[in-house]
Amino acid sequence: MEYQYLFTRLQPKGPSYPGVPLPAGNDARVGTPLHSRLLGYIADAQIGPFYLGWLGVLSVLSILLSLTIIGLNMWASVNWNVVEFVRLLPWLALEAPSPAYGLRLPPLAEGGWWLAAGFFMTAGLLLFAARTYRRAAALGLGQHTFYAFLGAIWLILVLGFIRPIAMGSWSEAVPFGIFPHLDWTAAFSIRYGNLFYNPFHALSIVFLYGSVLLFAMHGATILAVGRFGGEREVEQTVDRGTAAERAGLFWRWTMGFNATYESIHRWAWWFAILTPITGGVGILLTGTVVDNWFLWAVEKRFAPSYPAVWGVIPVPGN
Amino acid sequence: MAMLSFEQKYRIRGGTLVGGDLFDFWVGPFFVGFFGVTTIFFTVVGVGLILVGAAHGGTWNPWLINIAPPDLRYGLGLAPLYEGGLWQAITICAIGAFVSWALRQAEIARKLGMGMHIPWAYGMAIFAYVTLVVIRPVLMGAWGHGFPYGIFSHLDWVSNVGYQYLHFHYNPAHMIAVSFFFITTLALGLHASLVLAAINPATGEPVKTPEHENTFYRDFIGYSIGTLGIHRLGLFLALSAGFWSAVCIVISGPFWTRGWPEWWNWWLQLPIWN
Amino acid sequence: MKFNLIFGGLIAAVAGLAFFVVTFERLPVDSTQGGFRGTSMGRVDNPRTQVLLTAANQAPPALEAADPEGPRASEIYENVQVLGHLSIEQFGRIMLAMSEWIYPNAENPAESCNGCHVPGNFAAEGMYQKTVARRMLQMVQTINSTYSSHVQQVGVTCYTCHRGQAVPAAVWAEAPPNARLHRLLSTAPGDNRPVAANAYSSLPTDPYSAFLTRDSQVGVAGTSARQVGNNSSIQQTEWTWSIMMHMSTSLGVNCTFCHNSRNFSGWQDSTPKRVTAWHGLRMVRSINNEYIDPLQPEFPPHRLGPMGDPLKVNCSTCHMGVNQPLRGAPMLRDYPELNAPPRSASLELPVSRN
Repeated sequence: MEYQYLFTRLQPKGPSYPGVPLPAGNDARVGTPLHSRLLGYIADAQIGPFYLGWLGVLSVLSILLSLTIIGLNMWASVNWNVVEFVRLLPWLALEAPSPAYGLRLPPLAEGGWWLAAGFFMTAGLLLFAARTYRRAAALGLGQHTFYAFLGAIWLILVLGFIRPIAMGSWSEAVPFGIFPHLDWTAAFSIRYGNLFYNPFHALSIVFLYGSVLLFAMHGATILAVGRFGGEREVEQTVDRGTAAERAGLFWRWTMGFNATYESIHRWAWWFAILTPITGGVGILLTGTVVDNWFLWAVEKRFAPSYPAVWGVIPVPGN
Repeated sequence: MAMLSFEQKYRIRGGTLVGGDLFDFWVGPFFVGFFGVTTIFFTVVGVGLILVGAAHGGTWNPWLINIAPPDLRYGLGLAPLYEGGLWQAITICAIGAFVSWALRQAEIARKLGMGMHIPWAYGMAIFAYVTLVVIRPVLMGAWGHGFPYGIFSHLDWVSNVGYQYLHFHYNPAHMIAVSFFFITTLALGLHASLVLAAINPATGEPVKTPEHENTFYRDFIGYSIGTLGIHRLGLFLALSAGFWSAVCIVISGPFWTRGWPEWWNWWLQLPIWN
Repeated sequence: MKFNLIFGGLIAAVAGLAFFVVTFERLPVDSTQGGFRGTSMGRVDNPRTQVLLTAANQAPPALEAADPEGPRASEIYENVQVLGHLSIEQFGRIMLAMSEWIYPNAENPAESCNGCHVPGNFAAEGMYQKTVARRMLQMVQTINSTYSSHVQQVGVTCYTCHRGQAVPAAVWAEAPPNARLHRLLSTAPGDNRPVAANAYSSLPTDPYSAFLTRDSQVGVAGTSARQVGNNSSIQQTEWTWSIMMHMSTSLGVNCTFCHNSRNFSGWQDSTPKRVTAWHGLRMVRSINNEYIDPLQPEFPPHRLGPMGDPLKVNCSTCHMGVNQPLRGAPMLRDYPELNAPPRSASLELPVSRN
């Protein structure tokens, strides 16, 4: 059977690459790079060096602090029992404050810790985003990664900060916890009349599924032209070779139109970033503008109607 | 003629799986091939049947058109045309069209001297569809378990299937699939950003090299997967999302009838906790 | 290297298969349609589980019918307060049935008639079981009359809950919070434990107090697209969902048995079962608030919950995992003595408070 480009058969060994030299104003990189043979079968074998930096250190510390707050609260909720902590971990939570507190600062034990954990998590993410910007700028690269990150941060901020403020209550926000945040997701949909009827939710799913479709298509295409050096995307963009030509023609002949080596990455970028952007809009409109998405859909005449197989249901009560 | 500037030299004969030279030609930019013909056939018939169903359903509003599967009482038999039979026929056409599409992709790839990755990847999507409308209904004993063909009606189906298991988020395969969906989108955003950042650098800078790409990610997170690795990873993540989605629905019903949260009792009751 | 991969893969596959077989269920499954085709409303059942449930939910054969003619029990016996309107034969039949339904073990000198009566003196007071039983007889009469909207023609007898035991198998009481409340650290007194009540999810663990004694509002979704003034929170929604989890599991059904989940609150999108459940909720509140909780002073400590409240009723108490208790055996038809008496002035209930 011919080589399928899925696993690397020959791993050359050479000196580690220390990285493109950084201009003045940047720290030195840390760590001696190591090479992993196992990793080398599927991807680049070199691990490291790493750029520490102030933004990075503060970001990691902030996230770690957030996780510590969450973890200790969860552990306290099982009375400091280690066995129960491990056993019940997926069910444990650090809950948001109760609706009674509105937007006021609640006591630590009644949602205050949730606010603290949320604050440090957000700070960590923003610091990491800033790091994204600085590392790209230091290398003279474009800032596409930074802007993409902002799209994701938009959704997180809507969920945990902007929408709760718009609703006047921290209690609307997502709890920390593996199963509890899933309970929140479904409860959100139950409360607001089934989110499938929220058009922005639908759009967001289109972009989510579309992103997965695009990466399957793009990943498969590049691997399929691997024998022509197809993975050298920057080179193929500025100096189109047979890999780019065949890849484009494949899709042109299949579906009548095609992208180029650069433009496919624009398709991909927009699909990926529009997922959290439209999703965030959909969340923000829920409860603020629309209270029941199904009934809104009935109003706008896009909710299907089914024959009443049970007849008319007599409504009980007064 | 809708040909790209470099296209002519690639338009050669060969690569077909069935039919030899008979359908080895292009219509505009589209390659035909034997499987192009079968695709057109299944698509025309299938769309025609959808239009018949829409006409019978009494609405042309695209959001409201609904072709529903048969009642469960028809089991795995053929239902009357307007009582789910249309749905069955459309499903056959859909599978025919999708498989034809994949085989046509294979012919095109062969003609261009490319690997078969694309039709195989598309095959995973076909597998997910077939799981939903064939495998799971067969295991449960009725075609009526398939999802209706309608933009919002299929979402009603999704919602109700979810609540048939009380809280579908606790389905372990669903958790895996959702994670793969999200991480694929993340990886796609990161990859697209990186390539665009190298091709469209900061003002005044020359176009960057893969060394810059690698360096950025090693600085950023300590590791760079590389230009080849990211495409292997992306394909793997995307196909895993599709695969685990198919798994999560095929186990719901045939291999689990209770609420999904209750499945986790095996963990809660492990002897090691005593 | 290649051998390691293949061998490792084989071990993983065998382990995975073993895990799958042990933790999941198997084919075949039974599915019942509960709505228009394609909506996927309806039940999905494991036939092997259903066989076990049916076997565990059989009504015992009815005693031979009693003659309703003749003197009334209150004319012949002393201190008959609730069933005095029955004939002697009917009265004796019910007494016999009750001893079988509650205290069946005739070998035990503390069971059978002596479970409620002072040995040798049927008329005497002094045993809490007799006081409780009287009130429960009135409760059964109320259920079979006022709440026929829920129990319909099937009705209930003592057996529906008690099933041959002094204390029904599925009861509940107030529970202590599940963690020491620490001054500083967040705890989750009502939440985040997988228990039967919330179907092992992370939803609130005690929906019973909120919904089966207090009349907290169950509906949370707004009744119009842009309603201003629906103050239900997401946390409150989780509470509602928790009682719904209980309803589903205690009846052995899923949400779509009553609801079309695209519009949980809409009555015309729901099934008739939802109306029955609506009445059932109010019936359970009435049972707990008007009959069981007021009996608290009568019960000895070992018949109370850890917080000192009596053991109360929820959906499981009667349903025991099947949607029609005792698979729909017509209890009231077999024991017409448990209908409300002809003059029911003493059973007038206060106006229901929803």
